[in-house]
Amino acid sequence: MNIIFRFIGLTLLITFLIPVSFAIAEDEKAREIMQNVDDRDDGDNQTSNMLMTLIDKHNKERIRKLSLFSKDKGEDTLRLMFFIHPADVKDTSFLTYDYDDPDKDDDQWLYLPALKKTKRIASSDKSDSFMGSDLNYSDMTSRNLEDYDFFLKKEIQVRGKDAWVVESIPRSKDIIDETGYSKSLLIVQKDIYFVVRAVNWEKTGGYVKYMDVVTLEQIDGIWVGTEMHVAKKKGKQTVHKTILKFNNVKFNQGLEEDLFTVRRMEKGL
Amino acid sequence: MNNIRNRIEHQFAAFARKIYHHRFKTIFLMLIAIGALLSQLPTIKIDTSTEAFLHKNDPALLTYNDFRDQFGRDEVVIVALKPQQVFDAIFLKTLAKLHTELEENVPYIDDITSLVNARNTRGEEDLLIVEDLLENWPETEDQIQEIKQRALSNPMYENMLISKDGTFTTIIIRTQSHSSMGLEDEIMDGFEDFDDTIEVSADTERKYLTDEENTEVVLAIEKIVEKYRSPDLPIYLAGSPAVVHFLKQAMMSDMQKFMLLAVLAVAILLYVMFRRVTGVILPLVIVILSLLSTISLMAISGVPIKVPTQILPSFILAVGVGSSVHILAIFFHRLRKTKNKEESIVYALGHSGLAVMMTNLTTAAGLMSFSNADVAPVAEIGIFASAGITLAFIYTIVLLPALIAVIPLSSKKTETLRKNNRIMDSVLESIGRFSTTHPKKILFVSFGIIAIAFVGMFSIRFSHYPLKWLPETNTVRVATEKIDKELNGSMSMEILFKTDRENGLYKPELLNRIETAGVDFEKISFKEIFIGKTWSVTTILKEINQALNENDPDAYTIPQNKPLVAQEFLLFENSGSDDLEDFVDSQFSMARLTLKVPFVDGILYDPLEEKITAYLNKNFHDVDFQITGLVALIAKTFNNTITSMAESYLIALCIITLLMVILIGRIKIGLLSMIPNLAPIILMLGVIGWFGFPMDLFTMMIASIAIGLAVDDTIHFMHNFRRYYDQSGDPKKAVFETLHSTGRAMLVTTIVLSIGFFIYMFASMQNIIRFGFLTGFTIIMALASDYFIAPALMVLVNKKRA
Repeated sequence: MNIIFRFIGLTLLITFLIPVSFAIAEDEKAREIMQNVDDRDDGDNQTSNMLMTLIDKHNKERIRKLSLFSKDKGEDTLRLMFFIHPADVKDTSFLTYDYDDPDKDDDQWLYLPALKKTKRIASSDKSDSFMGSDLNYSDMTSRNLEDYDFFLKKEIQVRGKDAWVVESIPRSKDIIDETGYSKSLLIVQKDIYFVVRAVNWEKTGGYVKYMDVVTLEQIDGIWVGTEMHVAKKKGKQTVHKTILKFNNVKFNQGLEEDLFTVRRMEKGL
Repeated sequence: MNNIRNRIEHQFAAFARKIYHHRFKTIFLMLIAIGALLSQLPTIKIDTSTEAFLHKNDPALLTYNDFRDQFGRDEVVIVALKPQQVFDAIFLKTLAKLHTELEENVPYIDDITSLVNARNTRGEEDLLIVEDLLENWPETEDQIQEIKQRALSNPMYENMLISKDGTFTTIIIRTQSHSSMGLEDEIMDGFEDFDDTIEVSADTERKYLTDEENTEVVLAIEKIVEKYRSPDLPIYLAGSPAVVHFLKQAMMSDMQKFMLLAVLAVAILLYVMFRRVTGVILPLVIVILSLLSTISLMAISGVPIKVPTQILPSFILAVGVGSSVHILAIFFHRLRKTKNKEESIVYALGHSGLAVMMTNLTTAAGLMSFSNADVAPVAEIGIFASAGITLAFIYTIVLLPALIAVIPLSSKKTETLRKNNRIMDSVLESIGRFSTTHPKKILFVSFGIIAIAFVGMFSIRFSHYPLKWLPETNTVRVATEKIDKELNGSMSMEILFKTDRENGLYKPELLNRIETAGVDFEKISFKEIFIGKTWSVTTILKEINQALNENDPDAYTIPQNKPLVAQEFLLFENSGSDDLEDFVDSQFSMARLTLKVPFVDGILYDPLEEKITAYLNKNFHDVDFQITGLVALIAKTFNNTITSMAESYLIALCIITLLMVILIGRIKIGLLSMIPNLAPIILMLGVIGWFGFPMDLFTMMIASIAIGLAVDDTIHFMHNFRRYYDQSGDPKKAVFETLHSTGRAMLVTTIVLSIGFFIYMFASMQNIIRFGFLTGFTIIMALASDYFIAPALMVLVNKKRA
């Protein structure tokens, strides 16, 4: 599994795991596209560094640097993140078990070096912001293809490449509540089945989030978005913006499952 | 001086003749001009909000705008419920249902909080839980008790979501701070400009939530709440958005009532005076056109109608009709003699044009003294009321001759009119006799009364108290007073601490000081004001620290280690709550401390703000701080009222004295004439002082409005007195003749004007009722002083010539 996309909010569109045998009042072609997106190889045993820039409406920036590790375990995903910057939170770390089973809440642990304590975080609400960014927790966890209806709206070009515009509508209010989005538009680049852009409508407040994969690179044969911009807008007004940059992206690093434990997390990088 | 006056009078006569000849052209051109103006009438807006009382560039409002750009609106609608039992399975379900229904149906909601979704942070062994209080619905009585335990032990909920004694619980609705107007879902556009770099745009162009949107919110809430209200479950609806909405409702229905009553009163009086349909129709057409033109001017300038400006329509109707009355009185009188319309109107304008112009000038001057006021709607009244009066004057001298030219008029005089006039004349005669035979006694008694009034002026109490404008039984007022009492306040004062450094708030030392400030402020209490509760980012920090330390109540403290503060904030940011946004900016450089206070008089908010400023100056000399919030706006409006009043009085006094001197042509008599002008004003201020009426921005306007009107009578009196005195050289005789000729018109205009203001006593707002009563009273006193003090003075000052 490609950790990057889970973090940058596209995973929800890419990692649908359960194929749907039939569809009602939706679009076969759109579902086929999304299935192909879902089936694309997104790598495993990945390490990378992430630079997160948060920009508020007064154009003030906050920078966070993290070191990321991820590994697939069956259909589940294990992830570990260490804060590198700012200094006050250095070595604070996050460990996440992202379960494939939709009925099982994900497990998250946070280690606070100043307190020398690890705390498990319980929260079933995934619509809240992830680290003050314009992404929320639902952007980072996988969701089922069967929870949505898809419609092919039109075909456009993005940066000179042909793409499909697919509308995705949650099938139930529970899904809307959980993800915080009432609907989405996904722009899939045709040649590589990659979601290069997305628009998500927030269920409250009238906000719309625009996501754009600005830089796309092929690393070890796997397509990776290494720079991504997310803008939260209301009408034409941008109220907040997040820029994510990834470097040193490597796959197949042979990460041991031991790495993804509380004990290992408490040791620091 | 006489020469100039004669020349001007000649010009008025010549002007009337010209208009009379070009009657159709004049009417046609005026209709086009007025029609163009009136086409803008439908765009007029209404704004009863708290911030509408300040000018757009008032520093207090700019600070407040910065604040709401950062943290959203600080005004909330509070829905307070008083069930038999808060922690009861059935009631909690009702609460949840109401919560959901409000959340789904009320427009422009930014945030809605109740026990249902209140943030509950706690630790369970190694687990940190940040969830809604009722996230896992309690099924058994034990679970309900557990929830109750959690709710009552949370210091943040106390007096916010649940009253201290546990009998009241609330749903707090915060609306979006910015208007949704003009924001369309042009999603593909937003998508296309995505190719450009995403620029975070400045917020300056966006409008704040409008009055209409506020009304939609309050109406939607009221409609839903009504369904749940029952004798067993009283529900109170309060908060400043509700107050604003109800002020607006009262104002809209009052304004229609005022206009109708003003038109009716003016029409009846005109008929009594002239006994002719034309005598009613002509002045009414002219003032109604002036009124509509004035409102159109407001619409064109983008100035909405606000609480104080509601007096404008009936004011213009009552005052504007005066010009027509004075000219028509002379015209009809002349018409009966000469039977010639043209000669009569030319004569009437020549005779009264100048006096009418001068009276309009003084009235406008009195009003213009507001134009510089720091209280925005008062300044707007100054500008648009004087514009309206000027328009009424122009329409009168242009349209009146032209309309008279095209309308057939008979020159008959009816019996009743003669009888009326005889009664009036005999009354005026005895007044004249009394005032000229006992001048010294009159002056002695008058000065005695003025002296008593003057003493009363020192006990005048200033005020700006919008809640008390609502009638005592008004549901919102009752609810607000209830909530102020049961939940320790419904309004907020906000303090911003600005470190100007990223992560400046990680310093435990600073956080400790903010925390201590909150605790110290909660001890403040004087007269009816108190600080019911304070909260800030430290509240969240204490909560999370306690949760991280196995819910140990002793750990409900601020961690004294900078990295730990940083890490706890990071933990909170990632625990599924975005509540930090309400307390700090995204840079952790600015903290907000909220003080909950009751809705009281602005006179109390002002010393509160001073106390707080003094405290902050002492304890936060190294940090920038700002005080803002709705309460600060009310305090500022209160302060502006006082400074505006002082300025306005001074300006009005100077301009009007100057005009009197110029008009009368002699400094001594001009200054002397200010005695009958000022006497009613001092009397009125004395009444305010002695009877303990609040001096607010409405009562403050009375003096400047009344002096502009009072002067009119004095001008007419002096104008005629001089003319007759010059003729006969006998001051007593001159007084009699003055009262005979102009005294009658003075009486009628005074009755029209005072009724125009007494109409406001039918208002639903207390402040408008007081304003109407006091202004009407002052105008009658002004006439009395021209009937008694002015003649007495003239008889004493002017020697009888041989």
